[in-house]
Amino acid sequence: MADFNVNLRGVGSVSVIDVKGYLDAHTAPELENMFSKLIVDKQFKVVVNFDQLNYISSAGLGVFMAFVEQMRDNQGDIKFSNMNDSVYNIFDLLGFPVLYEFYKDEKEAVNKFSILG
Amino acid sequence: MKFNLQKIARSRKLEYSIFVFILLFLFNIVFPMHDDLPTFIIHEIIVFVAFFILFEYLKDFFTSKMIQPIPLVLNIGILAAAIFLVASVAKYSLTTNSINIETRDFISALFSVLAIFILIGIVTFIFSSLRELFFLRQKKDPSVYMNTMLIFFLFTFFSNLAVKIDSDLDFIKQSFYVVSIILISLNSLRVSWIAFLPKKQKVYLILISVVLIVVFSFNFGVISGKEGFETLVSSFSPGLLTLINLIMLYGVIFSTVVFFTTLFHLPTAEAFDRKSEEVSSLIDLTKLITQVFDFKELAESVTLLTSKICNSDASWLVIKQGDEFELKSVNKIGYLEADELTKFILGQNYDMEEGVTIVSNNALIPFIKNTNSQFNFDSITYSCLMHHEDISGYLFAARTLEIKYDDDDKKAISAFANYAAVALENAKLIEESIEKERMEKELDVAREIQQKILPHQVPEIDDYQISALFIPAFEVGGDYYDFFKLDEDSYAVVVADVSGKGISAAFIMAEVKGIFGSLSKIFSNPKELLVRVNDVLKDTLDRKTFVTSIYYVLNIKTGKLSLARSGHTPALLCSNGVIQKIQPPGIGLGLDYGISFENSIKEMEISLNYGDILILYSDGIPESKNSKLEDFGYERLEKIVASSCQLSANEISNKIMTELTIFSVDNSQHDDITLVILKRINNNN
Repeated sequence: MADFNVNLRGVGSVSVIDVKGYLDAHTAPELENMFSKLIVDKQFKVVVNFDQLNYISSAGLGVFMAFVEQMRDNQGDIKFSNMNDSVYNIFDLLGFPVLYEFYKDEKEAVNKFSILG
Repeated sequence: MKFNLQKIARSRKLEYSIFVFILLFLFNIVFPMHDDLPTFIIHEIIVFVAFFILFEYLKDFFTSKMIQPIPLVLNIGILAAAIFLVASVAKYSLTTNSINIETRDFISALFSVLAIFILIGIVTFIFSSLRELFFLRQKKDPSVYMNTMLIFFLFTFFSNLAVKIDSDLDFIKQSFYVVSIILISLNSLRVSWIAFLPKKQKVYLILISVVLIVVFSFNFGVISGKEGFETLVSSFSPGLLTLINLIMLYGVIFSTVVFFTTLFHLPTAEAFDRKSEEVSSLIDLTKLITQVFDFKELAESVTLLTSKICNSDASWLVIKQGDEFELKSVNKIGYLEADELTKFILGQNYDMEEGVTIVSNNALIPFIKNTNSQFNFDSITYSCLMHHEDISGYLFAARTLEIKYDDDDKKAISAFANYAAVALENAKLIEESIEKERMEKELDVAREIQQKILPHQVPEIDDYQISALFIPAFEVGGDYYDFFKLDEDSYAVVVADVSGKGISAAFIMAEVKGIFGSLSKIFSNPKELLVRVNDVLKDTLDRKTFVTSIYYVLNIKTGKLSLARSGHTPALLCSNGVIQKIQPPGIGLGLDYGISFENSIKEMEISLNYGDILILYSDGIPESKNSKLEDFGYERLEKIVASSCQLSANEISNKIMTELTIFSVDNSQHDDITLVILKRINNNN
């Protein structure tokens, strides 16, 4: 079906994950692997850039829920940026904005980390 | 049918031969002395016809049986010995009672005729047996040679008439006789069946053939000699004497040929045995492929056949499982030892030329030193099992004796491994498909159970219409809806959606049902209920799973309802054709187990007037896709509802589903669909 792509970039001490395409039950493991690798590498400050993401399913949302606690326990976090409206609506409906930080711009999200420490 | 016809034809031939023999018998009674030419000729013809018909009968008799060469040769030997016996008895009785031949009294005539009949019978049987051996294992039809020989036998038989007429014509008989001998010699060379005998039988055959040579030579001597027996037969029919003479000669020549051929085949017998063992092992394997579908059973048979095929003392089979090689079956070697050996050998990374290699004794020394096993193998050969260019396993064979594996063994095990790989792969596929079928049946059961978990029918409430619908995307789904009667005046309605799909979601859905079912009776306040549900789920949901839900309590008298939502798709309220999204704040169950969850949930109060409709649904409806991967969307859903406010709850449900089906006709259903519609009506008007 539709394909999915993840790419990891380092911006200072923050890891930026670019997600692209369709994030669903089939493609979620790819993103999971990426997060697992970050935890092994002790990279707990993560910004996920949704600029090129077209669709996210409940399984895709679950990936962030699975890892956010570990990041936060290690003075890190998962922050979201550059989300289009349709994807944001899905997060919003579920109440993610209550628990996660969303930013319009990736830089803004990255800076947020550096301000705090 | 055909078989029956053959049987009838055979019994007919038996009747004929009995008839001819009776005729011959009567002829001899009537004309005890047939020295004058006409009776002599008639008698000779009858004798030959008797021989020929009996021969024809025996030919059919043999064809109807599966002929094994060794018993046949043995039969010939016994019968030849019987001739010897008959000849000796005849000789004895003739020498002691020589006067009787001259006088030819009735009793002795009867006696000698019977003796000759027995003789004809035995000789014909021997000749038929020789004929069968002649035809054995012949690729082309050699019957023309056999028939030519028979014709010359006939000529020789009747050339005695010429001798009878004028003894100077003896040369005719002589020449036919010589030609017959040449033909006999040629036909005796057709003994290719010897090559196919196992070594044991070949040794046996040599012994029998020696005995045969002796017995036939002796018989030939008796027949050709000028003493009693010869006189007896000759006076009965000179043609018969010639015929017996020829057949005995055939026996001598044939036995001699058999003796030498077998002798020359003996050195290669072992190699031949091995080749035929290989072939039969391969045949066994092909049989197994079609008959044995059980992987374990097949693996064991393959291992057993490997030992046979390359003359090995032990063999074992390993199959790739994931990234590891797992020992599947062993033959005459311990499980542990085979496992250690496999690890050792595969650890050496031998160069596998054409997928097969030999491990010599020297290479095994480090292994013997390292382990305390009672290791006694001298050399090991092993071959890859290939499947689509990948190694799917290895087949090992080991020898204890100091006979090294050679190229032939390599070829054998490699060829066998190719077949075995296919067979094992086949069995694996079949096992998988059986497993799949079993899973499908289990899923059917799961689906039935899930259908039972959901309400069997919607509650009947005065002034309200309720419609409910659940369509899972797969056999089972993670959506859930339910109705609870809290007291006389109030009902609770819930729709929930577990993240993910299929079995895992269905399990959680069943749990969610249990939690809502029990807690709804305790907590009548929607917000409080959702908070409690979230608390219970804390212990069971894994971190990446969440449940969205929407829950309301309706007072059926007043039409007032209080509603809380935890991350679920908003409810739709349709009042006088105006659609309102009911979306009070609230995060999904399982997203947070602390104060954030409780703080996020806000209750909402709604008042249902007559004709108002409240629609709960799962995201399977707005997220249904068409062939262009476009969403059905919330707007489309709202439009449909707005245009059908006048319809009953069931009709609205049908309309939504119809539109949804038309929209997503080219695309399969991705997510579970739940639709629960409540409409307040005024029955009094």
